[in-house]
Amino acid sequence: MPLIISCTRLAVGTCSIRSFLCFILPSPQVKFRLIVILRFICTIFISALAVPALAESPPQKIDLSQFPADTIDRVIVPVPSEVFGVLDQLGNPNWQSELGPARTYPASPNRAQVALLLGTIIADGFVAVEAEDAERVKKIGRNVLTLAEAINVRKSVVTRSNSIIEKANARQWNAVRREFDGALQDVHQAMVELDDEQLAQLVSLGGWLRGTEVLTSIIDEKYSQDRAELLYQPLLIDYFNQQINQMSARLRGNPLVEEIQESLQRIGPLIKKSPADNISSETVTEINSLSAKIVGLIRARAG
Amino acid sequence: MNFSSLHLRSLVGAASLAALLLTLPQALAYVDDALSFAYEAANPYSQRGWIIREDAWGGDLGKGEKEAVTAQLFRGNQYIFFLATDEDTTAIRVSIYDNKGNLTDAKSWQSGRFAYAEIKPRATGTYHAIIEVISSAEERSGWALVYGFKKD
Repeated sequence: MPLIISCTRLAVGTCSIRSFLCFILPSPQVKFRLIVILRFICTIFISALAVPALAESPPQKIDLSQFPADTIDRVIVPVPSEVFGVLDQLGNPNWQSELGPARTYPASPNRAQVALLLGTIIADGFVAVEAEDAERVKKIGRNVLTLAEAINVRKSVVTRSNSIIEKANARQWNAVRREFDGALQDVHQAMVELDDEQLAQLVSLGGWLRGTEVLTSIIDEKYSQDRAELLYQPLLIDYFNQQINQMSARLRGNPLVEEIQESLQRIGPLIKKSPADNISSETVTEINSLSAKIVGLIRARAG
Repeated sequence: MNFSSLHLRSLVGAASLAALLLTLPQALAYVDDALSFAYEAANPYSQRGWIIREDAWGGDLGKGEKEAVTAQLFRGNQYIFFLATDEDTTAIRVSIYDNKGNLTDAKSWQSGRFAYAEIKPRATGTYHAIIEVISSAEERSGWALVYGFKKD
């Protein structure tokens, strides 16, 4: 402790230099240099002692039950490009063959269907970016705007839509990925402001379903345990199920939402298989057919 | 119910509403400030190839309190979490735990009002970013969390 105090005083310059070292130093110039060096060393020494004292290490183990599960808004839902990027590393997926139908979808009067469709279209945008298909990306960017208009959030995504088109023209793919992510957030925020948070949840759900369809299709094409592990998403299945359960009776009673809930209940046990490498090729095919069926239904009701 | 009690209730109601309207923007403002700082921390990383998500999470915590943000992470990616507080006297920390509550080998560090955690998940699955206020001169501190990812 006396050493620490002496070092502190020397480092901050509150101790008498003469009383500390002067009597052993040969000349004023050497003394000055040594004092500067000594102060520097003492400062580092004190910093090294102070940092761990300020912040103890986090515990090696925590009890997760102390964090309530009812805070469902504290869940990070990944964007499709997070998993698509990993797929790229595990092989060379044929993204072009994963692009959805080339048509532009009109809006229907069914707002729940429009919200789900908007989610699938934004996910299509991420696929088109992986395929580096600028024309398709631009088309999707315009379709996002049409659908956003039908659920009163056009104003919030106009800038995004223009930016998607502009950056696709410049083939700035990372920037386009960010814009699609931004479009998702803008739609979500605008819907929350309109008191339509439940519709916003359907946008996320639509995006996840289409992302899962594409993911399973690519894994199915060339199965490996490393690829199949990407499907291990128990958190997201629980999160979406919980969101549907908390929706209004009117929205839960929407035939499309009912179909989705039923499919999620079937996909859940398949995706939650643990350890994650237990997800077999047959399981991947099954998840693909369930997600593709739902995405097909969402598109079919577009009018 | 006579007129005076109705009048009193109206006054109390109006006062409560006024108090709510006065405090709500402040509550939202500190999360907004923290969010701006979190994006400020993330900004240099977007120039180094990280894709920074636009989604963000926020709230407020007292000293010693913790909160969890749960994430689906994929093996094959690297992730970085940026935590910021609106209070310059507050020290915060973000640590990453796996789904069994074990501390991962994520690298985490603090700098002023910022805290960071960087992880290469060993397995695909559920992880928890635990946010805590280590020290503060304030009763409560606003926080915001954003994250980014890139291929491993």
